[in-house]
Amino acid sequence: MEEEEWSQKVTGNQLPEVDITQPQQLRLRQPRLHPGMEEKLVLQFMDSMHNYLSLFDALSSILREGWLDLASARHSMGGLRINSSLLDMKLHTAATTVKITQYDDIAVDSIAVQPCFTLRKWASSEHGNSQLEDNNVHLRERDGIHQSSAEENAEVTVSKNLLGPTDNDQFSKERSKSLSTFGVLISPKLRASQLSFERALDVLVEIANMRSSVLYSFHQLHEEAEDN
Amino acid sequence: MAGRVQIPSRSSALIAMIADEDTVVGFLLAGVGNVDLRRKTNYLIVDSKTTVKQIEDAFKEFTTREDIAIVLISQYVANMIRFLVDSYNKPVPAILEIPSKDHPYDPAHDSVLSRVKYLFSAESVASGRR
Repeated sequence: MEEEEWSQKVTGNQLPEVDITQPQQLRLRQPRLHPGMEEKLVLQFMDSMHNYLSLFDALSSILREGWLDLASARHSMGGLRINSSLLDMKLHTAATTVKITQYDDIAVDSIAVQPCFTLRKWASSEHGNSQLEDNNVHLRERDGIHQSSAEENAEVTVSKNLLGPTDNDQFSKERSKSLSTFGVLISPKLRASQLSFERALDVLVEIANMRSSVLYSFHQLHEEAEDN
Repeated sequence: MAGRVQIPSRSSALIAMIADEDTVVGFLLAGVGNVDLRRKTNYLIVDSKTTVKQIEDAFKEFTTREDIAIVLISQYVANMIRFLVDSYNKPVPAILEIPSKDHPYDPAHDSVLSRVKYLFSAESVASGRR
């Protein structure tokens, strides 16, 4: 019974029951796409797939650097100084979170929703972050479609370059606070590992956006294929 | 796009993790760790003693929590609960299968790619994995 409840929750199937003998109920289906729109969707789908796979390559490379630096730090500081038993189990909130903005098609089922994820790093500098994140969301909204990952990475770089000295100071403070879990005197490799995993988070949020684009355009194309 | 409405949603959602110790520690260094009043964390460290039931329970918990935006799961861990991962199809939280130190990312097992393979082939997803 428990499994059934979870299953119902996550499949998100909220389609109303449609009696196909009643033609007026069939109006709930989305209108057919124009031929030009369909090609645009196919291109968006292929683009998103390509970017999704490219981003995973980038992620693998960044994670490898992070693991290597972490292993080097463990080697120099000792295995007892870097392990999960030292993790802070006291009440604390995440310093790095994600903002979700949803683009909702006026549609029947939840699969047509296309969420957009934006990373919010080191929440103490929340005021500065929120302005930069809004800029990122605005840039993504242009043309109403997701841009290529290269352009998105360029946007992230531009937004990072806009960080003032105060933001960088606050980022440094938050980073030091996070590193202090493993003591005061820490290896530079541990700092390098932290930066690698921060970069990995940037890529992961991009992957989440690509995933949502792939699933959204797949859903639209699947509906079109069924109509045909 | 016509018919699309922007709805601002959650502004501080969490990133959950189900992965090996090094991956979890690395991401915790990046500031994603969260511990609530009931001492519940947003991560599960998988090691040799972790049972499949514990992984399933963590996955179900993270995918039904309202405050989680992304769930990172090592792909080799996802393979242990493949049925559950593949049956999940909500847009939020996003489930991302990530590589681990000993198991590189394999696109053939990714649940998103398995799902969209259907668009290119009339074969079922199951036959594609043989």
